[in-house]
Amino acid sequence: MSGFTISRRTMLAGSAALLASTAMPVIGWAQTPKKGGRLVVAADSEPRNLNPAIVASNGVFFISSKVVETLAEASFDGKDGLQPRLALSWEGAADGLSVTFKLRDGVIWHDGKPFTSADVAFSALQIWKPLQNLGRTVFKDLAAIDTPDDLTAVFKFAKPTPFQLIRNALPALSSVVPKHVYETGKIEENPANNAPVGTGPFKFAEYKAGQYYRLAKNTDYWGKDEPWLDEIVYQVLPDRTSAAAALEAEEIQLAAFSAVPLADLDRISKVPGLKVITKGYEGLTYQLVVEINHRRKELADVKVRQAIAHAIDKDFVVKTVFLGYAATATGPVPKNDPQFYTADVPTYAFDVTKANALLDEAGYKKGPDGNRFSLKLLPAPYFNETKQFGDYLRQALAAVGIDAELVNNDSPAHIKAVYTDHAFDLAVGPPVFRGDPAISTTILVQSGIPDGVPFSNQGGYKNEELDALIAKASETLDTAARTELYKEFQKKVAADLPLINVAEWSFISVARDTVGNIANNPRWAVSNWADTYLES
Amino acid sequence: MSVLRRFLRTPEAIAGAIILAALFAMALSASLLFPGDPQAIAGPALLPPFQDWSLPLGTDRLGRDVLAELFHGSRTSLAVGLAAATAALVIGAIVGTLAGFAGGLVDEVLMRITDAFQTVPGFLLALAFVSVVGPSLGVVVMAIALGAWTGPARVARAEVLSIRERDYVAGARVIGMHPLEIAFREVLPNALPPVLALSSVIVAAAILTEAALSFLGLGDPNRVTWGGMIAEGRTVLRTAPFLSIIPGVALVLTVLGVYLAGEGVVETTAVRRSLS
Repeated sequence: MSGFTISRRTMLAGSAALLASTAMPVIGWAQTPKKGGRLVVAADSEPRNLNPAIVASNGVFFISSKVVETLAEASFDGKDGLQPRLALSWEGAADGLSVTFKLRDGVIWHDGKPFTSADVAFSALQIWKPLQNLGRTVFKDLAAIDTPDDLTAVFKFAKPTPFQLIRNALPALSSVVPKHVYETGKIEENPANNAPVGTGPFKFAEYKAGQYYRLAKNTDYWGKDEPWLDEIVYQVLPDRTSAAAALEAEEIQLAAFSAVPLADLDRISKVPGLKVITKGYEGLTYQLVVEINHRRKELADVKVRQAIAHAIDKDFVVKTVFLGYAATATGPVPKNDPQFYTADVPTYAFDVTKANALLDEAGYKKGPDGNRFSLKLLPAPYFNETKQFGDYLRQALAAVGIDAELVNNDSPAHIKAVYTDHAFDLAVGPPVFRGDPAISTTILVQSGIPDGVPFSNQGGYKNEELDALIAKASETLDTAARTELYKEFQKKVAADLPLINVAEWSFISVARDTVGNIANNPRWAVSNWADTYLES
Repeated sequence: MSVLRRFLRTPEAIAGAIILAALFAMALSASLLFPGDPQAIAGPALLPPFQDWSLPLGTDRLGRDVLAELFHGSRTSLAVGLAAATAALVIGAIVGTLAGFAGGLVDEVLMRITDAFQTVPGFLLALAFVSVVGPSLGVVVMAIALGAWTGPARVARAEVLSIRERDYVAGARVIGMHPLEIAFREVLPNALPPVLALSSVIVAAAILTEAALSFLGLGDPNRVTWGGMIAEGRTVLRTAPFLSIIPGVALVLTVLGVYLAGEGVVETTAVRRSLS
């Protein structure tokens, strides 16, 4: 019922504006930011656990990054691509054994208690390191945190840890939650996981299952004159086709994370009053990857893997599956990464003849029915695009005589089939690149990962040379040397193809013209929206 | 000949017969007219219908020929519809005959099982079955039959209850035939006509259920199905509505054709019965 109230109110507001515009002579539509107002946003999922310190994922950040802040946020022009949030400065020791954070003064939690270095120490040691999906790897050597005063936190590492990695991890991995709320009882079962308490520009106000989340303005926010908005409402619209209609009907003002299907963007961009924004996701690049089960004897042969890479027309995938809203990939680091990407890797042009020749060379001749061998192909069900690429890959493989049988599963069944049971030959996966290969990329290649860890190398691939390279990079402190090692890593991965990177894509936002300051940082959709405003 | 003439006396039956004949022609000619994989990429993506005469109904999001998919999809629809209906009729007739002929405890047990199946909506049953076992053509057929056999079972039982009291059944008992032999050789063939009259409804329902399962992504992904085509078209409903409309219309016509032809058959047999 609340959906109705909101739409009626926006409609009333809309008609009032219309009245005003006809009653007064219009001198000019100045784009004037206005204080206050309610931003209604489409939400396509309802995460149960809203604690970003435990679940570092975009679905959670989308809502809770406005409530719970990190030490630093990604930035287009800041030093090292960062801008300060709860930390004002960060300094790494030369020996890689400590990092010192100076914290912001005068910050208070939503429940009125002051924010101190004890909260940072508690979050890092009790949550990021032991409980967080990504923090487990990055902070594995974090031994202790010294808090000489309320505004200084010194992270102590047991083994040298590259400062570059810690820096790159700050925007996604460093959500600080209040110690006084979490110190009693089990952290995983704390009620604040469902109604987060933070320092952010918005307070968590209300959640109605299946309907909406509501965040209200934090009047004691540390940012001067921020936030601009009074309220953010996340309207739950699980059906992807309904977001576009809701935007047109002015029921919502913003649909982020490609809630509007790519095929609809062309039409939507011509609707007056709506704008399509492709920026603001640079820090959240998804990679379209063919995961390979190296336990299959055919796929253990590098020639077969190269043949598959040659059989895929990456340009076609970008143009048809992603309708141009993506880029072709060359290797495990996306092209838009400013620090690590190198184009100097072996590439595989679309060449069916060469693919056929490679397969013949590998000893898999075409049978009388034109097939060389059969494979089981499991496209991940999370995105339309991964499913469509699965359909395309089946056709591309058929063209070189590989018969792929598609197996569709829902998300939990897919994760179990691929990452626990290894019941696949090829799978289509969308891993995320998070600004540093050590966060969630090397894990796709590294051997020795226990069964059941999702989004990791579960294809039984083992390459000692690559393992050594990954290990060396994880303890190399010098930024330039470390970057060089990851360039080497990209070359080796592209040459040996433990997995095949096909394309890189990010998301699209569609918003009404009245929403201002959209996409002003590389993780905008999952940043705090303190400066987002509605025009009057 | 006279039966055929009687059948063709009603316009509904003619319409149904024509649609069904067209459908069978489509299914049989699919491999001849569109050899190779119907899911192969044939042209540019999202080509609207009637633009390019080599792709008369246009292409879908990956550039696959919609007409080829439509023809090959008719095979899946027909195959699933007929197979599921056959399975449902066979199971239903056997269960109904056993229950009706044996009576007593066997009857009670079998009919309570039938009741149990009837209380669960057929579609939910199919949905649960497919999501547990995993989607493939055989599983989909079984899943649909699982929810559809109860109707034939009840009709067969009712018929058998009246037939088993006839003199020729008593005669068969007297000459010492095995009860199962009597049930399936003497009673069942005579109880069949009203059971078969249900077939058109079951086929139509089976085709719709298969389409609904494919629409929800629980069809066999390696085969073209109309339901799957509608589901894929749904994501681009606003920009390329023909992708959902074309298979949707085909589905409607098929179900209508099956139903009308079935009605015609029932009418014909009813007339014949009243004549005899």
